[in-house]
Amino acid sequence: MRILLIEDDLQTSRYITDGLAAAGHDVTVGCDGPTGLAQARTGGFDAIVLDRMLPGLDGLALVQTLRAAGNTTPVLMLTAIGGIADRVDGLDAGADDYLVKPFAMPELAARIHALGRRPAPRALEHRLAVGDIELDLLRRTVSRAGQRIVLQPREFALLAELMRHAGRVMTRTMLLERVWDFDFDPRTNIVETHVSRLRTKLNDGFTNDPITTVRGAGYVFNP
Amino acid sequence: MTWPARAWRSTTGLVSMVTLAFVLLALAMGRIAYDVTHEALERQLDHRIAAETAALLVEARDGGRAGIAQAVQRRLASRATASLDYLLVDDAGRTLAGNLQARVPPVGYEEFLLYHTAQDGRDRIAQALTTRVDGGMLVVAADRADLYEIDRTLTTLIFTVTTLMLLAGVTGAILIGWVTRRRLARIDSTAQAIIAGDLSRRIRRDGSDSEFDRLAGTLNEMLNRIATLMDNVRQVSTDIAHDLRTPLTRLSHQLERASNATGPEDSQAQLAAARTEAANLLDLFAALLRIAEVEGMSERLARARLDFTALVLQMADTYRPAMEEDGRLFQVDVQHGVEVEGDKRLLSQMIANLLDNALRHTPNETAVSLTLQATAADAILIVADKGPGVGAEEAPHLFQRFTRTERSRSTPGHGLGLAMVATVASAHGGAARISCLQPFAVCISLPRSARREIARKVPDNL
Repeated sequence: MRILLIEDDLQTSRYITDGLAAAGHDVTVGCDGPTGLAQARTGGFDAIVLDRMLPGLDGLALVQTLRAAGNTTPVLMLTAIGGIADRVDGLDAGADDYLVKPFAMPELAARIHALGRRPAPRALEHRLAVGDIELDLLRRTVSRAGQRIVLQPREFALLAELMRHAGRVMTRTMLLERVWDFDFDPRTNIVETHVSRLRTKLNDGFTNDPITTVRGAGYVFNP
Repeated sequence: MTWPARAWRSTTGLVSMVTLAFVLLALAMGRIAYDVTHEALERQLDHRIAAETAALLVEARDGGRAGIAQAVQRRLASRATASLDYLLVDDAGRTLAGNLQARVPPVGYEEFLLYHTAQDGRDRIAQALTTRVDGGMLVVAADRADLYEIDRTLTTLIFTVTTLMLLAGVTGAILIGWVTRRRLARIDSTAQAIIAGDLSRRIRRDGSDSEFDRLAGTLNEMLNRIATLMDNVRQVSTDIAHDLRTPLTRLSHQLERASNATGPEDSQAQLAAARTEAANLLDLFAALLRIAEVEGMSERLARARLDFTALVLQMADTYRPAMEEDGRLFQVDVQHGVEVEGDKRLLSQMIANLLDNALRHTPNETAVSLTLQATAADAILIVADKGPGVGAEEAPHLFQRFTRTERSRSTPGHGLGLAMVATVASAHGGAARISCLQPFAVCISLPRSARREIARKVPDNL
């Protein structure tokens, strides 16, 4: 993927560039707001990683300008610790995802991956089908190879989120944000316990596990 | 500032000015008393000489001038009225009787008649009444010496009294000023000691409940409050420093060992440990900053009316697998339709922290219960467990940062979970308290409708 990184701190910039390059991405770096905005406008990027605090033009204003100009390149915004309202502000301004520094590289990689191939929203689609598993978002039913599986609401939401991003790594924090709407990390492994339950229910009577654990990163729903 | 204004501000000056006013008033009153007395005495003398004249005339009614002369002679012989003097002259001005040696004043009252008597010949002043009688003039005079004596006594008395008043007043003013300064010096010396760094100093009280004593009490209370807050700040910073030292030392050791590692596998293992350590540190910072942030935002919290019952049930569902995995009985008893106004994510974190605590600080298979009730004003959330509780001595510190109790010491953590719970509760205008020590139960009360007096709920624990 061609990624534009707009970040003024050299060390952070190098860390992210190295990490993304190692994951096979082609990274261009912009060092301040105005430069970054100019680079973003020339287009041709699959995703933009944007620091919220930038010299010249801050991240929020940059996204707003970009969106006002009709540019729809997916944007992942980075911010320092703290700022409970920051996430909402960032998403309101037009960012597609939000990540708090410091973060682990697999987390950023997974999020960029999820951004880059974000499917176009299909409002009418209420059925997800991956492999032999089918999920009906309206009726809230799940079946595997035609066999009904009864899930708890959180388990259902978790499965839907994994299936929507089938083939892509979903990290713990991404799942906490999207399934539970948590902007904090509870000390109890609630994601693990839920995935474990979900697996038990899905795999009852089957041999292959549709969910793969990626060590140090998260979970993938196998397409 | 001009001098009267300055004098007015100092106690000595104030009392002096009041004294001066009193002295002036006393002088004015003395003057009035003097005038009134003087006037009364003069009138009394007039009355006496008039009465005496009338008496002489009555005695001599039939005797004419000679009769009067005889009467005068009789008076003088008996000296019955020692202070009165008489003179009877004929129309030619020759003395017929009497001891008064003076010119004959005109008919009527004469206030100041210079005279002398035959006895000692000294000049005297008298008040006299001259009456025309058949073929001559009768003068009856009263010596004013007594009047002057009383006047002098009065004047001396008035000046002595006012001088004494002035002296007493000035002495009093100086004394009161000195006492006030001494009392204030007690406060001042304490303040100076505190400025110099001895924060434990307090103003000595005399228990009199006087205004100074009460002021000392108020100031002491203020100092106690400040000291508590400062102790908290000091405690928190010491705790932060202490809590950071151990993991930072471990981190440094791990990095050192990684750089001295014998093989790539050993190096990897050390680096992984170092990363975990660093991640823990970052978690600690994130938690601290979040508490500080929520504390600072109670006024501008994202308040939305939300179905608290649904949120609590959702949190119960979220934690049920973890509870059951540990073989626990997880009892959820929730009243329906309880709404609160607040920030959903913060409230989620509050409940999560309580359930995390119950899971982490009790042995497996310990029952945990989650109860939501509503009173008229509040939503009451209780998280209780049947595990080992906490000691009474630990209870007051539970909601403070970095508190690790006996029951939490064996598990990893920073001691920030309950501090966050208390902070979120008070940011919502509610409160967190330990409702039971053994078994352990935490009770959260949140107002069901947003109150506006949130600002006064400043938590004591910083």
